Amino acid sequence: MAEILLDVQEVSCRFPMPGRTVLRAVDGVSFQIRRGEVFGLVGESGSGKSTLARCIMNLCRPSAGKIFYQGIDIWDKKQFRENRKRLQTARQIIFQDSTSSLNQRMKAADIIAEPMVIHGVTPPRGSWRAEAAFQLHYVGLDASYLDKYPPELSGGMRQRVAIARALSMEPEFLVADEPVSSLDVSIQAQILNLFRHLQEEHGFTFLFIAHDLPVIRYLCDRVAVMYRGKIVELAPAETLFADPRHSYTRALLASVPLPDPRRERARKPVEFGEFSTAGTLRELAPEHFVLTEGCG
Amino acid sequence: MSRNLVWYCLKKLLLFFLSMLLLSLAVFCAAHFAPGDPLVSYYGERAEKLTPEERAQAEERLGLYDPLHTQYLRWLSNALRGDFGMSYKYKTGVLEVIGKRLNNTLLLGGTGFLLIFLLSPVLGILCARFEDKPLDRLLCWAGSLSSCIPEFWLSLTLILVFSVWLRLLPSSGAYAVGKAGDWESRLTHLILPLAVVVLSHLWYYAYMIRNQLLEEVRANYVLLAKTKGLSRRQILLRHCLRNVLPPYFSMMAVAVPHILGGTYVVETVFSYPGLGALSYESARNQDTHLLMALCLLSGGAVMLCSMLAQAVNERVDPRTRSGGGMEVERRG
Amino acid sequence: MAELLEVKNLSVSFQTPQGEIEAVRDVSFSVKAGEALAIVGESGCGKSVLCKSILKLLPPSAQIKSGTISAGGADITAIPEREMRKLRGRLFSMVFQDPMTALNPTIPAGRQIAEAVCVHRPRMPKAEVRRRADALLELVGLEPEKARLYPHQLSGGMRQRCVMAIALAAEPQILFADEPTTALDVTVQAQILDLLREIQRILGTATVLVSHDLGVVARVADRVAVMYAGKIVEIGTAEEIFYDPRHPYTWGLLLALPACAREGEPLRAIPGAPPSLLHPPKGDAFAPRSRYALAIDYEETPPMFQITETHFAATWLLDRRAPSVESPVKGGFYG
Repeated sequence: MAEILLDVQEVSCRFPMPGRTVLRAVDGVSFQIRRGEVFGLVGESGSGKSTLARCIMNLCRPSAGKIFYQGIDIWDKKQFRENRKRLQTARQIIFQDSTSSLNQRMKAADIIAEPMVIHGVTPPRGSWRAEAAFQLHYVGLDASYLDKYPPELSGGMRQRVAIARALSMEPEFLVADEPVSSLDVSIQAQILNLFRHLQEEHGFTFLFIAHDLPVIRYLCDRVAVMYRGKIVELAPAETLFADPRHSYTRALLASVPLPDPRRERARKPVEFGEFSTAGTLRELAPEHFVLTEGCG
Repeated sequence: MSRNLVWYCLKKLLLFFLSMLLLSLAVFCAAHFAPGDPLVSYYGERAEKLTPEERAQAEERLGLYDPLHTQYLRWLSNALRGDFGMSYKYKTGVLEVIGKRLNNTLLLGGTGFLLIFLLSPVLGILCARFEDKPLDRLLCWAGSLSSCIPEFWLSLTLILVFSVWLRLLPSSGAYAVGKAGDWESRLTHLILPLAVVVLSHLWYYAYMIRNQLLEEVRANYVLLAKTKGLSRRQILLRHCLRNVLPPYFSMMAVAVPHILGGTYVVETVFSYPGLGALSYESARNQDTHLLMALCLLSGGAVMLCSMLAQAVNERVDPRTRSGGGMEVERRG
Repeated sequence: MAELLEVKNLSVSFQTPQGEIEAVRDVSFSVKAGEALAIVGESGCGKSVLCKSILKLLPPSAQIKSGTISAGGADITAIPEREMRKLRGRLFSMVFQDPMTALNPTIPAGRQIAEAVCVHRPRMPKAEVRRRADALLELVGLEPEKARLYPHQLSGGMRQRCVMAIALAAEPQILFADEPTTALDVTVQAQILDLLREIQRILGTATVLVSHDLGVVARVADRVAVMYAGKIVEIGTAEEIFYDPRHPYTWGLLLALPACAREGEPLRAIPGAPPSLLHPPKGDAFAPRSRYALAIDYEETPPMFQITETHFAATWLLDRRAPSVESPVKGGFYG
């Protein structure tokens, strides 16, 4: 079995809310990501998947639990300081909304080169500009885009620039937080192909966050389903889609409308109430973990 | 609930007194270190002719030799017992001096505030209703013009036109000599200063209402209201105005010092015997006790108004109501 | 059956500092009573503008350049706002994309529904209005107690239900739904779509659904119109569009879906990006992105070719002089 790259152990993230209540955005979540795999995290808005991604990227401090990246406790001050450079270059994140995550007043070339400038990397291809051009070419844009500002680009192109920026540090671990959900179908397919290509060519390890199940199924090796801050089911993608065990996963799969009118019309109206988040994650079948109650 | 209310009031009250204390301390120090001779306000022109011994005696008598903190504590303990001291210039109790002038300022400032408070929503709604139509453009043009002219200049122009050229209205004072109780005389003396106060502040608030209304009109819920079949007028009055008024109320409360300050300037130009002229005078001559009382009065009014605004705001806008009823259910 | 809504050769433009944006270009379609038409296309293809131009909800910078809109048997292309107001709510109403902002935040949900009930019947007694509002809440699947709550106290799905109750308050004959589920979670989306179908069945309201999601369209629509760069490029029954599409753009849209990916193969993405509508290209706007483009596609705009009684597509591939091309998606994916 491949080396474990990221180890998330019992991570919780709570936020105080008005009226002395506490929002448990992430509630005791554990999982591992192995080198070279695409790990999917699926759940609806407010299920805590983005908060978890932020915890993993040192952007939001978890209130409990530990996160290890290659054995380094990333929230331990001393260990983080000692491995700062490595942690900051090896992990990169791509956000959903490239309109707001890219500085509107920087040219594409500067956006892409910025991480290298910050970390004082000597550009292997002579200049930072040449380096930016190389990365742009790599994500499918030619050098004429180097001097464009983000508002001049379409959504798909902006997302490509965001990916090129993340790739410029030659990371080994990429977190993609809903990278295609604001894109149109035809553009979304281009970006998904790009992700797949990157993964196959370079063996990046991905944490891919999405709410769109077909996208997850297409791209991911293993999938964790999050609901109200907890992982309710974790399994290889094929197993999860063929044999969902948790009632929430089933409801989620049953809710996805497919482009097939006859099948859709034959479908019975869905009725959901609340789903149980009690119990612990158990391995019901090899590699297939489900949140189950009781001690069976 | 009522327990919460008591807590709420107690907290506000404590905050109020603490702020007043700090304010009094700040004003006392500022007054002490500012240039000016308290003896001038006490003895008038005679102060210049005093011998050094007489001077020292007088200062001793007024307690000016004591260190600053002793003076302040003495003032504070007296003030807490309701004795705000004596005005150096008028030689009578401070409250009495203020009491005589308060009516005039309340009349001018209060009427001005009320007019601004009522007229600016009307103007704002008119402009928003006829956005970019000739009426809106005319009002915007006239409004910006009137709010850009400095108050003293506007006052002088009005005096020149209505008092000097047309001889229609009096140019100074609050009433003609010997006609303190005559309402007609008071009214004619009020018109010019009032016009200046209103004209120079009105547009600032009306324009704010106009722009906030126009922002609301572009909100999504207006489209939904439109698909219901409501007219633009109905949408403006029933939906948008409702969302604009709470911030307007708090804005108007904060506007009290703004308008009060304007009133003080206008009073000085028109020699209108109000608190503005009095404050100016007392600050210039270090009439400390009078100045302290005036500052506390103005400051207290401002603080009361903003607390009131906050309370009103919380009642009208359900989102700012603290506690209770947050996110009742999450799922559809 | 009579046409409830008929749009003929409609063109809508926006005046911007950069020039004229031709958002809707020569669009014709009709809606019969009680049917569900879906307009599908990518963002910026003009589908939302098309709806809003029918309800006359566009900002003043937009202008109907040509064409006619007739609804309920009368021409409403140029009727004054006063008359239009009487039609909104009763003849047609609309549900919007973002339920978070579609309700007035400072008014309880129930009062906003009651207001919609009262607009066209100002003399209705209070108790009657209340009863009607409660009935509407029940229709959209909410308990009457929810009426007292303010929008920020309701979840996204409940807000969208309230918006639907408002839209249905005056019993409109046509309900426009502009991306009604895009801002919602998948499980909530499924419930709202079921509700849309249910309402259409119970009340017989014709529905015009605007969406970018082919799955959503398949779930709700009887007929589907595919829009690209301001034009309807293909229109037909849901079966015809999903199982026997004829326009290369429809093929591309269906093939690009991750749900339709073949095992171990990359997605069949459409290369390039949609054209700017500031200066729409000559001929078939999709030609530069199409594998099947013919020389004539770059020169002349294809007319609507009729395939069956209900199925039309605007592509030169259907001309009898064109080379025959095998459709890559014949028969659908699951059928």
